Amino acid sequence: MSFDVALLFIQQGVASGLVTGSVYALLAVAIVIIYRTTDVANFAGGEFYMAAAYLAFFMIAMMALPFWLAVIATIVVMCIGAGLFQRIVLAQVALARGVAINLVIATLGLSYLVKGIVRSTGFGDTPRTFPSVVPDGSFTIGDASVSYLDVTILGAAVLVMALFFWVFNFTKTGRAMRAVGMNRRAAQLVGINLGRVEMMVWCFASAISGIAAILIAPKLLMTAEMGSVVTMAFAAAIVGGFTSLPGAVIGGFIIGITENMVGLFVSSRAINVAPFVIIMLVLIFKPQGLFGGALKVRKV
Amino acid sequence: MVEAISAKASRLISPRGAMLVALGLIALIAGAIGLTSFATGYVIYIVNLVMVAIVLALGLHIVIGECGQFSLAHAAFYGIGIYTAGLVTNLLGAPFWLSLLAGGLVAGLIGFFIGFLSLRMRDIYLALSTFAFGEAMQWLFLNWTPVTGGPNGLNIKPATLFGFQFLTDRAAFPLVLSVTLVILALVAVLHVSTLGRSLRAVRESEIAAASVGINVTRMKLTAFTLSAFVAGLAGGLYTTFSTFIHPDSLGFQTTIIILTTVVVGGMGSLIGAVGGAMVFGLLSELLRQVPSYQEMIYGGILILFMMYAPRGMFSFVGRR
Repeated sequence: MSFDVALLFIQQGVASGLVTGSVYALLAVAIVIIYRTTDVANFAGGEFYMAAAYLAFFMIAMMALPFWLAVIATIVVMCIGAGLFQRIVLAQVALARGVAINLVIATLGLSYLVKGIVRSTGFGDTPRTFPSVVPDGSFTIGDASVSYLDVTILGAAVLVMALFFWVFNFTKTGRAMRAVGMNRRAAQLVGINLGRVEMMVWCFASAISGIAAILIAPKLLMTAEMGSVVTMAFAAAIVGGFTSLPGAVIGGFIIGITENMVGLFVSSRAINVAPFVIIMLVLIFKPQGLFGGALKVRKV
Repeated sequence: MVEAISAKASRLISPRGAMLVALGLIALIAGAIGLTSFATGYVIYIVNLVMVAIVLALGLHIVIGECGQFSLAHAAFYGIGIYTAGLVTNLLGAPFWLSLLAGGLVAGLIGFFIGFLSLRMRDIYLALSTFAFGEAMQWLFLNWTPVTGGPNGLNIKPATLFGFQFLTDRAAFPLVLSVTLVILALVAVLHVSTLGRSLRAVRESEIAAASVGINVTRMKLTAFTLSAFVAGLAGGLYTTFSTFIHPDSLGFQTTIIILTTVVVGGMGSLIGAVGGAMVFGLLSELLRQVPSYQEMIYGGILILFMMYAPRGMFSFVGRR
């Protein structure tokens, strides 16, 4: 491979990696806020994303709703669904026997249930294309070609993340979430409604996953299996340290760029193993991730 | 060692219990004879499959039930067992017991390696690393075409023993049954042995276990390795009656089915794992034609059991 080609590949890899990475970052943020506040690793994160894409597709293509209305409706439905799941199912699981394994199994169950529901509607069996609202076409930055859709995805993702960081850091709700994440009992003592905050976190997270889905859906074929992208989001979260929000974002971009580089330099078929290798390497050499700080020992 | 175990076993099983076990075994053998003479080939095929499901559940039981460690990679270990055993049979023409053991050993070895890598992880990190390993292995099964046949699948020659070929499900049935019973007995021995007790101590509290001199690290590694070994044996067992394997059946959904089996049986209960495997081995065969219902039912069952019966179905009948 000549130097010029390598240089072109690197530029293209970074450009495409930033776009896919922004979506991984959104999904990773959704996973991390849930883990931070409610101590649940949400294995259904991928299915939230998949369900949101199908919901939006159904409303736009089948019910012919205007794009913006469909987006808002999708986000609202996702919020309600995830909130109900937390309030009805997870609260009960924690009450019955609040072991970490049991909560994870419940989210695994949800992921499977959602996949089955989407498939049984008949939508999930044939691959579909999501309509794009952005005009086709592309321009070049350096040597890399970037489409208008790519720019929109990246821009919207960054905007959503900025908005969320503002909520998380500067509003009362966000402060309550952070407090619950730090110490549940102390948070309760100062009058925070634990149940409400935990439900809100699930609502937020599923809304973010939904936005990620709508952003990236025009770029790929929709199938019932598209939720498997959650592996990438987990990899991103682990690179970042699993409890750090900026870590999740940077992890998302790292994973996105790595994925594209692997695709360009090695083989597109090697992409699927890349997250596994990354997860393993990070967990072996730097288990606290890039931004996790010192490992926290949990008191019994 | 052996005397100690048998002494413990005799204390655990009362004369009445021993009689019940003996009666159960007689009923089982009688049922097996009846089955091979009356049932159709398809029914026997399903019974064989259920027995593979039992061995698989026993494998996951060791790591999740006895030791309290999460593993989402059992479909991968099962697949490693199937491909290893299948290739040993195909290329070497080895007798079934050799390919069975090869499947178990290779899976156990890889399980040891993954367990070693995952030693510092617990809870979700362990779940995530094993989940990623499972995904990577399925990718390998699908893409390592020269060895696994890739998307075309792999045809496996019939199993042989002393020159006799097990061509049909009916012929393989006694073999599958006896191997399953042997593995079940071994896992039961593990359960009552000192090792089993140490594993359960780690499950209940790592700190307490360490404080009474149990090597927590070694216990976790042992559980992981044994569990992968048994999953590999299940794969080898599968090749004794099935002649074809496709990577599609080794993905995450298989892991979910095994997990449901163990969860519904009750994590930590040996009888539960076996009972759960009987129910779900049958159910997944019945639902094979309607994958979406299968997904909904398994997902729903997992959620409901975690909500209302986290100790499994046998908790209702008064286990412990």
